[in-house]
Amino acid sequence: MSTETEELSELDLSKFFDRPWVCIVWDDPVNLQSYVTYVFIKLFGFSKEKAHELMMKVHTEGKAVVAAGSREAMENDVQRLHEHGLWATLQRDDHGGV
Amino acid sequence: MGEFKGTPATGDLTVALSNDELHILINLVEQLLELLGERNFTHHYQSDDPFAQLMAAQLMSMEPLSAPEDPVLNRLLPNAYADPDAADEFRKFTEPRLRQIKQQHLMYLREQLVFPVDHELPKADISISDAQQWLLALNDLRLALAVRLEVEPDTFEEYELMPDSEPKKSLLAVYFWLGGIQEKLLDHL
Repeated sequence: MSTETEELSELDLSKFFDRPWVCIVWDDPVNLQSYVTYVFIKLFGFSKEKAHELMMKVHTEGKAVVAAGSREAMENDVQRLHEHGLWATLQRDDHGGV
Repeated sequence: MGEFKGTPATGDLTVALSNDELHILINLVEQLLELLGERNFTHHYQSDDPFAQLMAAQLMSMEPLSAPEDPVLNRLLPNAYADPDAADEFRKFTEPRLRQIKQQHLMYLREQLVFPVDHELPKADISISDAQQWLLALNDLRLALAVRLEVEPDTFEEYELMPDSEPKKSLLAVYFWLGGIQEKLLDHL
C-alpha cells in the first residue's frame, strides 16, 4: 500500500512540473448535457461516469479543467472542442495539474 | 417531428421529416453556411496551384485575425485564449480550418436534406449514414439560433408562457425542436 502511495505522489509532482498547460471548458446555456458528455467521451476517451462528472462540474461550477499537458496538446484539444461547438480555452496551469 | 427508426448497429438509422420541417432546416443550414463563408479562404491551403500557394504564403504573413464581429461567428469560432494577442495569433492558424470543418458538416447535412425536396417527396425518411456529422451540424445550428434569440438558462420557461403573437416564439420552437432531434440522435449513437 505504501508503495502505491509513493508512486501516486510522484505522479502528481511530475504532473505539476511537466504539464504546465490546461484546457478549460466553460458552461453555456445551449449545449445539451447529454451532448457535452458524449463529446467528452469521444474526444478524451473518458468513461461515461467520468464524462458525466466533468459535464456536471462545468454545469454547476461554470467551468472545468478537462485536460492538462503541453501547450501544443492543449491547443489541439481546444481546437477539437471548438469543432464540436463547446466553449473551450487554454491557459497556463497555476494550480498544479487537474 | 423528427421520428427516428432503426439502430446504428444495423446501419439503417432514418429520420422522418415533413416538407415544412425540411424547408426550415435547409434554410437554417444555408444561412449559416453563408455566414461562415464570409472569410473562407481555406481552399488556398490545399491546392497545388502556384497562385493558391502564393495566397497561402500571403496569408501567413498577414496580421493575426481578430475575433469575428458577428456574435454568431464569435460563438462558433471562439477565442482559445483569454489574452487577446494570444487568441488572435492562434486564430490566424486555426480559424480557416475550423470554418472549413463546420462548413463540411453543414454541407453534408444540406445534401441529405435537399434530396427529398428536389424529388418532391411529401414526407421523407431520410437515411442518416453519418450520425456524427448530423449531430455536429445540428449543434452549430442550435448555437447560432441561440445567439440570435439570446437564449438563457430560463428561456424554456419563458417560451412556455409566451403568447403565440410573440414573433420570437416560432423561432424558439425551431430551436427546441432541434434540441429534441439532437437528443434522439444521441440515444442512437
